Amino acid sequence: MTDSDHDFERALADLRPRPPGPALTAALARELDPPVSRRGVVIAWTAGLTTAAAALAFGLFLGAAPEEGAPAYQLVRAEQSPVEIEVLRPVRLEDGSFARPVRARWENTTQWEDPRTRTRFINYRPSEQTTLLPLETY
Amino acid sequence: MPDAHADQDWRAWFADHGARLRLIARQWTRSDADADDVVQEAFVRFWKHQRHLPGDPNALVVTSIRRAALDLLRRTDRRGVREKAVAAETETVAWFEPEADPRLQALAQALPLLPAEQREVVVLKVWGALTFEQIGEQLQLSPNTAASRWRYAMEALRKLITARVHD
Repeated sequence: MTDSDHDFERALADLRPRPPGPALTAALARELDPPVSRRGVVIAWTAGLTTAAAALAFGLFLGAAPEEGAPAYQLVRAEQSPVEIEVLRPVRLEDGSFARPVRARWENTTQWEDPRTRTRFINYRPSEQTTLLPLETY
Repeated sequence: MPDAHADQDWRAWFADHGARLRLIARQWTRSDADADDVVQEAFVRFWKHQRHLPGDPNALVVTSIRRAALDLLRRTDRRGVREKAVAAETETVAWFEPEADPRLQALAQALPLLPAEQREVVVLKVWGALTFEQIGEQLQLSPNTAASRWRYAMEALRKLITARVHD
């Protein structure tokens, strides 16, 4: 190998390959990230009726006069995760046009705590929404 | 390369090495999208099952990428010749980030023009950080043949860059 080859090798090493897009990282995350752990005392896992039922139950719980020794929960945290956007491959629709599916995922978590017993009531709600962006073809 | 045997977060490891892994995958695939699929399959296999194995993690992950790429090629080989030709012609995505240095720009434009058997040796040596012996194992060549292809590639790059400078 000549000195000139070494120069070329060094120059090549200075080139920066384009990084993978967010879609690849999101796909890896789905396969490699551990499943979301079930934290706290109670977890409600649904976007629909279960959440409503949990809210209703909690409302009734708060509305009732606390008995002595019964837990008295207070809201301690309400948060929404950053929205994770995944841009998928274009698809062909029934009318022959093309569109690119875009999937958004996020999570809402609300926590209440009884300061006396340090027990927590947690409502965890994952959400997903997929939208089709029309593509123009020429 | 950082130690992938340790209890390292995959995101940190992939942030450091994802770009070069994708460039390696791109040498054995027909499009960027195929390269993404190959990197996904290979990296998941490496991270879940192979990173704790003894040996050079770099060589392991490259082997995993090559295996995934060959599997994909076999699966898609039934496609027509025309489709392959169209894909090859329409693939215009740059492999590298833009560079201000004209010499680096010329190199970035010249590399994809090399014959595939020379280009894969260059990519495995520079971005795969493999020795000629390891490259030979990957490509089922003798180390001498790998080294010979490297020399031809350097000569070809030199000519391509000189031609561009004179244009």
